[in-house]
Amino acid sequence: MQVYEPFKAGLPKLGKYWKSLWSRRTFISEFSKSELREQHFDSVFGQLWLVINPLLLSGVYFILIVIIRGGSDSTRYAHLTATLFLFYLISNSLTGGVKSITAGQRLILNTAFPRVMLPISAVIIAIFKFVPTIFVFLTIKAVVGSQFKVEMLWAIPVLLITILLALGLAITISCINVYFRDIASFLPYLTRSLLYLSPVLYEASELDPKLRLLEIVNPMFPILDSWSSALVHGQMPETSSMLQALAWALGIFFIGTYFFLSREREFAVRL
Amino acid sequence: MSLLSASNQHKTQEVAVSVRNLGLTYTTAIDKRPTLKARVKALGRGSKQTRIIRALDDVNLDVEYGQVLGVIGTNGAGKSSLMRCVAGILPPSQGRIEVFGSVSTLLALGVGFNPSMSGRDNVYLGGLAAGMTREQITGHFDEIAEFSELGDAIDAPMRTYSSGMFARLAFSVAATVRPDILIIDEALSTGDAKFKEKSLNRIKELRSDDRALILVSHAMKTLRETCTDVAWLHKGKIVQRGEPNQVIDAYQKFLDLGKSAAIDEDV
Repeated sequence: MQVYEPFKAGLPKLGKYWKSLWSRRTFISEFSKSELREQHFDSVFGQLWLVINPLLLSGVYFILIVIIRGGSDSTRYAHLTATLFLFYLISNSLTGGVKSITAGQRLILNTAFPRVMLPISAVIIAIFKFVPTIFVFLTIKAVVGSQFKVEMLWAIPVLLITILLALGLAITISCINVYFRDIASFLPYLTRSLLYLSPVLYEASELDPKLRLLEIVNPMFPILDSWSSALVHGQMPETSSMLQALAWALGIFFIGTYFFLSREREFAVRL
Repeated sequence: MSLLSASNQHKTQEVAVSVRNLGLTYTTAIDKRPTLKARVKALGRGSKQTRIIRALDDVNLDVEYGQVLGVIGTNGAGKSSLMRCVAGILPPSQGRIEVFGSVSTLLALGVGFNPSMSGRDNVYLGGLAAGMTREQITGHFDEIAEFSELGDAIDAPMRTYSSGMFARLAFSVAATVRPDILIIDEALSTGDAKFKEKSLNRIKELRSDDRALILVSHAMKTLRETCTDVAWLHKGKIVQRGEPNQVIDAYQKFLDLGKSAAIDEDV
């Protein structure tokens, strides 16, 4: 039996919600696939673009670094590509997630399903776009003659934390966009600022101690720092960085999900 | 509202849907798109840029298994809102809805369809959106394709379809779902006369003792033929509920007269 009563801001029964979400896993994957196909990522040239695009991006930023610093080396380029590609996983989750609820209006108004499915599928699409870039990075690393070490495997937990953070951010921003539709227009400025505040164009160790605050308030700082330690330098990331990253990801994920789940029954009225 | 005698012939009389004192109010923003900018601008003025609409007002409705309930009323009477409440899409503002069984909705055709994909892919997408499993869809695929009469076009992208073809495929997918409670909102008027007839027959096939059907329609002849019960909604209230011919006659008389005394009474 299903009972529908007046909307109160509060969580739905989580067990039931999870079961309902899990039963729709095929729909989630099929839905994500259809979105990808709509963006032509099922064709050969679409796939190729997934590799060319990040290469061009890293090329442009490398030119920027060379000009500003008056020179550079291969480690710097490896660091730039590794962190930039991971940054784009989060940035794509945000840009895909922000409109996931408002664009799913027809689906939301006509079918009952766990709404959180929509931002989740935005993150799945972002992950799909991220995977080819891993191979691009590994190729670059091999070409510049950087050593492959066992410590590089630390990248796996870092990636899992990143995905958790991406999910949290996508869920949060998709919900905010229902109430404030202009968030989507602010988003490019937000992601651009985050990019410059994160250790992508520079390394975390080079940051002026006076700017330490940036490190504390930016959830992506410890993640990108750990990612670069593991993949570029082949070192175990600092435990404090890993813990800080995990705390950020868990915090944003739980707060965002709570916010979303307690509000989602109201979405149909707001659209 | 004691005209339920028509349902006595059915074996199952368990309640499928029970709606108690249902009220639904929308607060719609005058400014269609809520934005941060608008909110900040409104801060100084302190004005509330909203309008309140009572879509449903103290609605009581029971649907039993074996019943086919027709819902009629003019545009804006609250028919679709009521259906969305029963389906769990809209949260009620007052009252309580109890649903005993699985609900499938056919509120709009082609929900979940993606026009850039082929008809075949969309059968899967639409079916999954309606709550079927991939295996179920594969099992029924030939049936769906045949019913839609699309032929080879099933493998063409859906953006190349005519609106009739789109509607035919959408209806074929939706009619394959076999829930306990099926809610259909004006989905019968799809395609040409021949397909209309075919889809009406499919709806009639779906009638069974262990299923409850709720049809929202403006096609009075269809409702007279198909329903065991008809409820008439007007301005968010139930005016009359009972034997189809009786309710529909009263409704049609009301439409001719424009305004009837019965409307102002609380029923």
